[in-house]
Amino acid sequence: MSTYYDENELDDNVRFNGNVIKRLFETLAPHKKTMIGSMIAIILVSLLDAYFTLINKRIIDEGIIAGDKTALVRLFTLYGAIVLIQAVAVFFFIYLIGLQGEKVRYDLRKQLFNHLQQLSLAYFSKTPLGWIMSRVTSDTEKMADLLTWGLIDSTYALVNIITASVFMLSINWQLALIVIASLPVMLFVAFKFRTRIYYHYRQSRKANSKMTANLNENITGVRVVKALRREDRNLENFKVLSTDMYRSSYRAAYLSALFQPTIQTISALSLALVMWRGGLSVQNQAITIGGLQAFISYIMMILWPVQDLARVYADMQNAVASSERVFSLIDTQPGIRDREQTLPFTSLSGDIEFDNVSFHYKEDEPVIKHLSFHVNHGETVALVGPTGGGKTTIVNLLCRFYEPTEGTIRIGGTDYLNFSLQNIQSRIGVVLQTPHLFSGTIRENIRYGKLDATDEEIEAAAKLAGAHNFIVNFEHGYDQNVGEGGNLLSVGQKQLISIARAILANPDIFVMDEATSSVDTLTEALIQQGMERLMEGRTSFIIAHRLSTIKHADKILVIRDGQIAEQGNHQSLMRLHGHYYRLYTQQFRHELESQLDPYQQVSEGFEES
Amino acid sequence: MPNNKNTYPELDHQKITSNQNGLVTLWRLLSGYHGYYVLSAVMLAVSAASRTGMYLFLGYFVDQIIGQGKFGTELLQAAATFMGLIMLQALSGFLSNKLAAQTAESSTRRLRDILFDHIQRLSFAYHSEVKTGDLLERASSDVDTIRRFIADQAVGVARIVVIFIINFTAIFLLNQRLALISIIIVPVILVISIFFFRKLSKAYEAYQEQEAVLSTNLQENLSGVRVVKAFARQSYEIKKFDENNYEKYLRGKRLNLMHALFWPISDTICAAQMIASNFLAATMVIDGVITLGNFMTFSGLLGWLIWPIRNLGRLIVDTSRALVSLNRVVQILRVPEEPLFEGSYLPASGTVHGDISFDHVTFEYEKGHPVLEDVSFDVKAGQVIALLGSTGSGKTSLVNLLPRFYDITSGSIRLDGVDLREYPRSFLRSQIGIVEQEPFLFSCSIRDNITYGVTRPVTQEEIEAAAREAAIHDVILSFKDGYDTLVGERGVTLSGGQKQRVAIARTLLLNPRILIMDDSTSSVDMETEVQIREALQRLMKDRTTFIIAHRIQSIMSADLILVFDEGKIVQSGQHEDLIDQPGIYRSIFEIQTRIESALQEEIDSVHLL
Repeated sequence: MSTYYDENELDDNVRFNGNVIKRLFETLAPHKKTMIGSMIAIILVSLLDAYFTLINKRIIDEGIIAGDKTALVRLFTLYGAIVLIQAVAVFFFIYLIGLQGEKVRYDLRKQLFNHLQQLSLAYFSKTPLGWIMSRVTSDTEKMADLLTWGLIDSTYALVNIITASVFMLSINWQLALIVIASLPVMLFVAFKFRTRIYYHYRQSRKANSKMTANLNENITGVRVVKALRREDRNLENFKVLSTDMYRSSYRAAYLSALFQPTIQTISALSLALVMWRGGLSVQNQAITIGGLQAFISYIMMILWPVQDLARVYADMQNAVASSERVFSLIDTQPGIRDREQTLPFTSLSGDIEFDNVSFHYKEDEPVIKHLSFHVNHGETVALVGPTGGGKTTIVNLLCRFYEPTEGTIRIGGTDYLNFSLQNIQSRIGVVLQTPHLFSGTIRENIRYGKLDATDEEIEAAAKLAGAHNFIVNFEHGYDQNVGEGGNLLSVGQKQLISIARAILANPDIFVMDEATSSVDTLTEALIQQGMERLMEGRTSFIIAHRLSTIKHADKILVIRDGQIAEQGNHQSLMRLHGHYYRLYTQQFRHELESQLDPYQQVSEGFEES
Repeated sequence: MPNNKNTYPELDHQKITSNQNGLVTLWRLLSGYHGYYVLSAVMLAVSAASRTGMYLFLGYFVDQIIGQGKFGTELLQAAATFMGLIMLQALSGFLSNKLAAQTAESSTRRLRDILFDHIQRLSFAYHSEVKTGDLLERASSDVDTIRRFIADQAVGVARIVVIFIINFTAIFLLNQRLALISIIIVPVILVISIFFFRKLSKAYEAYQEQEAVLSTNLQENLSGVRVVKAFARQSYEIKKFDENNYEKYLRGKRLNLMHALFWPISDTICAAQMIASNFLAATMVIDGVITLGNFMTFSGLLGWLIWPIRNLGRLIVDTSRALVSLNRVVQILRVPEEPLFEGSYLPASGTVHGDISFDHVTFEYEKGHPVLEDVSFDVKAGQVIALLGSTGSGKTSLVNLLPRFYDITSGSIRLDGVDLREYPRSFLRSQIGIVEQEPFLFSCSIRDNITYGVTRPVTQEEIEAAAREAAIHDVILSFKDGYDTLVGERGVTLSGGQKQRVAIARTLLLNPRILIMDDSTSSVDMETEVQIREALQRLMKDRTTFIIAHRIQSIMSADLILVFDEGKIVQSGQHEDLIDQPGIYRSIFEIQTRIESALQEEIDSVHLL
């Protein structure tokens, strides 16, 4: 799988936002039990870890130095018992927190996905797919990590530092103060280091995505690279990027290499002080040799929780930034929603009327301007006109993917805002210009039109659409896999399947965006037939490119600049000698010319003559 | 600090690809940095030895300083020695990691450059077979796996082994019996660890696979959002995603359970060894076999002897993974590059004239499946050759032979009387310009795209002149940043016709003697079509031009028309000759001429109604 990065995600200046943190932790509310369980377990583990050092001290003082073998047996038994208790605690904390992590991930992904299903088309057309993907995949991971391991690690570290400090104070408070005094210094240095390392790490990720993008482009454009002999210069360009990557990546590694030794050096100072002062204390019997050994152990071990805390701190910055983005997505309100009162589910057969409809995405940039027309039930409407004129928007408005910013659309005399979205969208069948199929089998894809359809119904729909013949020619017939996005099939085949899917849905209104891309003549004819079957008895809106479709329409709307430039049927519009006339003659030439390429027809014709 | 220069020790391909053994190849990959890497290992040993030294000194400190009651300067010296040893450990640890990072980052940077360059120099045949995604995956994530292996995992293995040897030796010198008893558990824990990490690796893969499934599910849902909405299938989609999401949760849970079992169990086993050895050592002190100081040394070293072994299993599994990645990378490097400068003939004038003759040329991609068969024709410099034929008839294969993107199977092609194979590819390509139907532009500024092919410095006037001739200057000026406008994702999206005109400007600047172009202007409006046609006419002037023709207009004036069918020339000659003979050409021409009369009929029929 490819990973999606975007600039926002790699933001360097992450600021802490109290509300976001609060909300982030509220995500844990349903997992209180596992949370508390794992917390108890980790606190126990941490306490016992510090306690082991204390037992070691007693082994030296009460066992070895005292020469008491029974004490030794007693102490080692205690040690063993604690090991077992700790093992059980370790099992529980890993198990519970891991489980909680998976649950939090599951919940977040589910919540995001479900929310995404409610958002309107406008949101998806202005938000890059990669951006949404990384919210659901990588951001939820980062949030879950902080809420589980981040929480556990920092709890462990804090408890460990505090317990060790208390134990040290109990052994010898003067020496303990030396160690405790060094802690803030270590923590400060560790936090600084971690922040810097993360900065360079993020830089290296940025550099890496630039580098990969460059390589990707060089491979896709390799034909041009070779033709224009760009190899040497492209390598030079790439080297600049790979050097950037090298620098930031090396800096991160360099600082990581320096990190632990620096903390160690600070601890070396406190250790030397403790050895010296402690040595003197042994003289006045203020501390035992076992006690001194315990101090040495504590100082050497305390390095780890300090580093853990710094790591969690840096992770937290990241996770908070992730949460902010995830919450912003969850907070996005769908632009198109059901009105509070909707009419009961009903058939949508009836006349369709656009009454003074206007629409704009951005204020001052109207896409549709005061559009009015009336379509009788069962009629076929062809929308023609230049790209960007507003044809697709009209269809999107009809499907209520968008709602008019002004004016009313009526279906069967009722303002369509009174119907539920579910009602409208399930009663309108849509075939898109670039048909989209889902991975899975052909059968599953056709069934998408009616989830409880029987195999017979599916086949019947495929036959009506003219898809049956090519389907049964596949090795696995209807169970043939279509590949990701349907890319194992040709465009024409995908279109036929999407027509079958629409036929199965048996909609009241049919909307089709005709493909401009060329398919072979046979498929073309099949598609044409399939479409005609679909249009029978239904009110149909076709964004039309093919002459035959246009000519057979009951009503043709020529859409230019968001307005109806001309309307009527083929004959009346031809007589106008206006936009339609020009469009038609151009398309006429084009369609016949394009027959030059799909050769079969021509060579067959030649053989006949 | 990092090496900021753009240079590094060169590494010969041959060295990486010649040995079959992965570890040898890996070592060769580090050529030029072997010194760093070896020094890193030495520093690693110094660091490990100084830690062992510290524990040895701890024993001495307890026995000889504290034990002997030397609390004066000896105590101070001892504290200083302690500090010194820790600092030595810190410093050498830092150097070791730094040198390893330097080795890893420098050698992967070089590997990335080598791969980039190699990939762009692989033949056309290779590129048309291999998927871009696969190449990218190998060049990025596999290279990164190798980098991590060099920087972390190999160093990790070395660290564990070195620490084990040094500590074991130290203990062995202290007391042989103790040493041997202390490592009883080592083979057991090693076997368990390897077993566990193998299992874990599989479970992790399963988890990752489900992650990929989930991502694909999400991606298809997002890209098919219009279909989902059109069929109002939100709840179906939610259910489908939830199933995949839940499966990932289950797999994560399983992975988690494995961790929850492994760590406490291996903890307990290691702890059992610790307890047994420490107990034995403690009784030995009481029995007077070893000193208290010896015990403290032993106790400290023992931990470093046992615990790291648990991670060895992980590192061994990682090593096999790194070798797999290495192999995937080396596979690419083993494919021979296209020799750009091979060939002895260079015309004295520096440019070719442009006479081309094909003499019984046969070409096949796969043995026994010729795509061009026995093709012969002659072209004088400056002539226009139109290639006509259906998709797959051999037109594109023929023009691909001219810049030697592919070499012919038999026969010969001569340019200015010299066999094409005697010209170095690089020179040949400098003489040939290509304008494709959907030209590939790079994501840099429009200016950079226009000058993409030329090596000499170009003035703004020259660029603008070329853009004017290509009829794209005004379009460029209409963008906010003019010639600095970025093309592609980060900048403007150019239409097919605009891209084509930028490519024409690019080729004009290149000023080639031979031109290959695709005259299709399928998806542009009439006005643009005229502009492109005019621009192409200007471009063709005084150059030998091969046109892959889709329309009659560009064919009619051609000096030679070649009609292809299934790789063979079925008709050749000029327009006037060809329309006089029966054949494909005449059929096409008749259709074409019929268009106008048919159109007239159409128009008339409307008026008659």
